[in-house]
Amino acid sequence: MLAIEVSDLHKNYKGAWAPALAGFSFSVTPGRIAGLLGPNGAGKTTTINILCGLVSPDKGTAKIFGFDCVKDSGAVRHKIGVAPQQVALFGNLTATENLTYVGRLYGLKDEAINKRATALLERLGLLAHAGKRINAYSGGMKRRANIIASLLHEPDLLILDEPTAGVDVQSRALILDFLKEYKQQGKTILYTSHLMEEAQQICDEVTIIDEGKFITKGTPNELIRNTPDCKKLEDVFLHYTGHSVRD
Amino acid sequence: MKRDIAGLLLLLIMPATLIIIMALVQDAPFKDFQSMKFDILLADADHGSTSHQLIDGLKNAGSFHIIDSIDNKPVTEADLKQLLQKGDYKIGILIPSGITANIANSANIAANSIAKKMGVDAMLPTGPLHGQMFVHIFFDPVSKPAFRAAISSALDKYITAACSGILMERLSSLNKNGSDTSAQNDNLSKIMQGIGVKEEPLDSRGDNMMLHINSVQHNVPAWAIFGIFFIVIPIAGNMIREREDGSAIRIALIPGANQFVGPGKIIFYTLICSLQFMLMLCVGIWIMPLLHLPALHLGLHPWLLLPATLSIGFAATTYGYFIGTIFKTINQALPFGSVSVVILSAIGGIWVPVEILPHTMQRVALVSPLHWSLETVNIIMLRDGGLQAVAIPVALLLFSGITLWGCSIIAEKKRNHSVQ
Repeated sequence: MLAIEVSDLHKNYKGAWAPALAGFSFSVTPGRIAGLLGPNGAGKTTTINILCGLVSPDKGTAKIFGFDCVKDSGAVRHKIGVAPQQVALFGNLTATENLTYVGRLYGLKDEAINKRATALLERLGLLAHAGKRINAYSGGMKRRANIIASLLHEPDLLILDEPTAGVDVQSRALILDFLKEYKQQGKTILYTSHLMEEAQQICDEVTIIDEGKFITKGTPNELIRNTPDCKKLEDVFLHYTGHSVRD
Repeated sequence: MKRDIAGLLLLLIMPATLIIIMALVQDAPFKDFQSMKFDILLADADHGSTSHQLIDGLKNAGSFHIIDSIDNKPVTEADLKQLLQKGDYKIGILIPSGITANIANSANIAANSIAKKMGVDAMLPTGPLHGQMFVHIFFDPVSKPAFRAAISSALDKYITAACSGILMERLSSLNKNGSDTSAQNDNLSKIMQGIGVKEEPLDSRGDNMMLHINSVQHNVPAWAIFGIFFIVIPIAGNMIREREDGSAIRIALIPGANQFVGPGKIIFYTLICSLQFMLMLCVGIWIMPLLHLPALHLGLHPWLLLPATLSIGFAATTYGYFIGTIFKTINQALPFGSVSVVILSAIGGIWVPVEILPHTMQRVALVSPLHWSLETVNIIMLRDGGLQAVAIPVALLLFSGITLWGCSIIAEKKRNHSVQ
């Protein structure tokens, strides 16, 4: 069974000048880190929102571990953990309070929440700051706390929308190391980023999307090898998506 | 213009609405009560010629709309008191039995007196002079003292004029010479004041109830309700902030969480509103007397304030929830929320009692949840109404809350599926 199976997705937003998705299809095998790469407005976030059940597609299907993202959105949300682009936490609450609140909403017992939260906070270097309000955190700390909140219920699929945007080198290294460890536990990760070097470093496979359509897919090395005059993933990306600036 | 309709609403339509509403609401207090037309429930226990003349006089006066029958049945004293107690009418007049006989007797005494002064033997039958008889005037217990005084004064004027007319007519028919009777008898004016107007309480507790018609009794619940509805500011602000900072997305991503978080917010804020209202009542009961003002009177069934407060809090909370859902930015939601509460309070009788608003505005008041909130509290505190009496306004508040909540859920779903 595929971890993610997206088929012929179409999505038009009211008032938008172009479709966000125009027949996009892709899949992800379980236990891998899959990169979903594309320029601004390519359809990455819309795809993620459809996978999370936050947005309904106009046409096409999206499945996670066999569960339909529209019809079985409850089951899907149990399977996934999502760290959105925004820091999806309550700024006026401390990290501990945020994690307790989120954990309880997932139906976890306080004991389990404490155990998991402590382990994750320690692994991502936030244990000493667990009693501080999120608003007082730096950008990197917020990103790490955001990832912890999405992992509390131990999801089989972790979806990360630009998890390292705007963070310093140390935080980025910590996050990437953690993602590799998480994959070692047999979990699947779907990851979007504009940082091609980072994607090349951690992704087992990469799907490139542009203008709402599938462009290409493969391991970073395959893509580099099979694309003429390309020495790194960024060259491949520019080869397929062009050099013109996107709005 | 299409790009920021909400901004346009705030800039143009909201102030225009505020100006129109406030002008309409404030119009009544700037007018003399005597220049307005009021519905008056009238029970005639006399059924004599004098009472008929009085009723005709009141009908022709132009300032009152006299209702002396309902469903083709004459209004009785019991009907009158019951309808006023319920608040269906604001003013009631009872013409007591014997008023025709009394005024005829007064006229005969006056005529005989004039005849005697003219050297003619008294010839009209008379009984003992009973002194002044009163046309009783009753008010809805919620009516304010200024309103009562103004209406009593206006009625007194019309009734005295009508009685004088009746007496003069009788005297001129008796005095064949048609001489100026008023100038000939020092006591004539006294005798002619055969009928006066006297305000009466609706029941035996009425005198005590009259004591409760004061500024504390209106202002404490009215402004406490106004304060409760200002919960729209924190609710709408927090909801939009949660959407902006992403924490709303976190909740949306947790399976089934919105089923708990939405109702949880409503329950929490409803309880906060209720607590706020109870604290304001405590201010009315214990702090106001320290300021040499009357203490707030809670009525005979103060326990009913609990469901009343919860329903008011629920209506206020869901209004805030609705504002927080339909507006995209805090800059749109907060001014709209606060100005709309001011407008709803103005048309709902918080600033100026609804009974002195123009008829159109009295009908408009029915759409304001603040009107039903104040009505509920007045029923409990001033009309001593029981559970049955508050059931309708409480049900209306709950209905408006459920409707707004439902609209919010629909709007939220629609936005999630149409906005990138």
